[in-house]
Amino acid sequence: MFPRRLRVVVAVLLGVALTFVILDLRGGQGPFTSARNVMSSIFGGIERGAATVFSPITGFADFWTNTRDQKARLDELEKSNAELQSEVKRAADDRARASALDGMLKVAGLGRYRVVPAEVIAIGPAQDFSWTVTIDAGSDDGIELDMTVLNYQGLVGRVSNVEKRTSSVVLIVDPSVSVGARVAGSQEIGILSGTGKQSELQYQLLDPLASLEKGAALVTFGSKDGRPYVPGVPIGEVLSVAGTAGQLSRVATVRPFADISTLSIVGVVVRPPRTDPRDSVLPAVPDAPALITQPTPSPTPAESSAVMSVPSEVPATESAATQ
Amino acid sequence: MNVKVRQAVIIGSAIFIAVILELTLLSRLGLPGATPDLVVVTIVAIALAYGPLPGAIAGFSAGIVMGLAPPFDGVFGVQAFIFTIVGLVTGAVVDPRDRSVPVIMGMVGLSTGGVVLINALVLSVLSGDRVVWEIVPGLTLTAALYGLILAPLVVPLIGKIVRTLTPEVAVL
Repeated sequence: MFPRRLRVVVAVLLGVALTFVILDLRGGQGPFTSARNVMSSIFGGIERGAATVFSPITGFADFWTNTRDQKARLDELEKSNAELQSEVKRAADDRARASALDGMLKVAGLGRYRVVPAEVIAIGPAQDFSWTVTIDAGSDDGIELDMTVLNYQGLVGRVSNVEKRTSSVVLIVDPSVSVGARVAGSQEIGILSGTGKQSELQYQLLDPLASLEKGAALVTFGSKDGRPYVPGVPIGEVLSVAGTAGQLSRVATVRPFADISTLSIVGVVVRPPRTDPRDSVLPAVPDAPALITQPTPSPTPAESSAVMSVPSEVPATESAATQ
Repeated sequence: MNVKVRQAVIIGSAIFIAVILELTLLSRLGLPGATPDLVVVTIVAIALAYGPLPGAIAGFSAGIVMGLAPPFDGVFGVQAFIFTIVGLVTGAVVDPRDRSVPVIMGMVGLSTGGVVLINALVLSVLSGDRVVWEIVPGLTLTAALYGLILAPLVVPLIGKIVRTLTPEVAVL
């Protein structure tokens, strides 16, 4: 059907592609690893430049994809409107980024994380089934493999690959990602896994008898040396719980606090806090007084099950409040 | 300049620009469903303009470049394999004398949607439970739709560049 030359060339190309697949699946440091890293660094640099050129367009896109958050955005805009009158005219894009950075630094300050701010410059195509983004900070900025990435809303992901001036981040919604998470308040621990859908995570408690209620907030449990996840970063809130207490497969659906579809400014935690900040970084709950502003004065001796949590929580909240 | 060199420069820069645009602009637009697959549309356009052999080579190079550009996190080589077949099939199946708009659009729709399906199948075999099958139909349809939107912009543009700079080897 095909001329001979075409057959030979196509066979060679497909053979080379298959060789790459096998080498990559074999894992470890293959013969092409260093060459690939050099090429990735070069592309990372080009993506940095291209992202700068396209940022007005993508900044506008961020705005209209955000329609479901319009109400919250309206309040935010009204508040910022008053401030704006006294401010010098700036580009809308710059303003949004500055406030995202500000919020992110505030979260970092509350938890005493040392963060390196970075901007998302490229996103992997959705049809690759891998939820990854490129950020414009790399080993030159002190980024290392498996560092925690967060933004002003909560946990975003972890660093999966580092180049000189860019690095890749695998997001928490990626189906291959699992995060150890703790329920704020009850201190129950469990495992949170990505589902491949951008506003849904699945949470499985280690203790099937523990109570888990809708609206409960989850924070990271923390790993050894703060990698890949530092403790105390807010992750999301429980939307629904399937199954009843005692059932073996009790899985809760969790909505991540961080809006994965409109990521712009993120922070990479380069130094974890000395002490676990516990729940003090969580956003304020409307019906309960915020832990951050009013640290509950020393415990009136223990009401039922809260014995364990209260004493350990107080020092952390106080240190956060003195910031 | 030698016609082979000119051809290589055209294919190389078209793929390079397509990859950078797809990763830093199209993916950040936050469109629902799949990311508009400019790279596949470009491969189809090159295969239509030059025929199956350059089409296959263009597909292979595009797959390699996609694998090298961060934030790639899949299995390196899978895309090169799939894109090589897309370039080959597009160049071979579409007869140069029978190039109506519906045929070209159909080819683009099949390629962009088909790449998603084949990619999902291959990845589910190679890297386990990463593929979320519930979203595959949506991804396939939106990928095909975005491909159809990109095609009227990309295919004539590349066709024109090819005919102007390398009239000796242009199929059309």
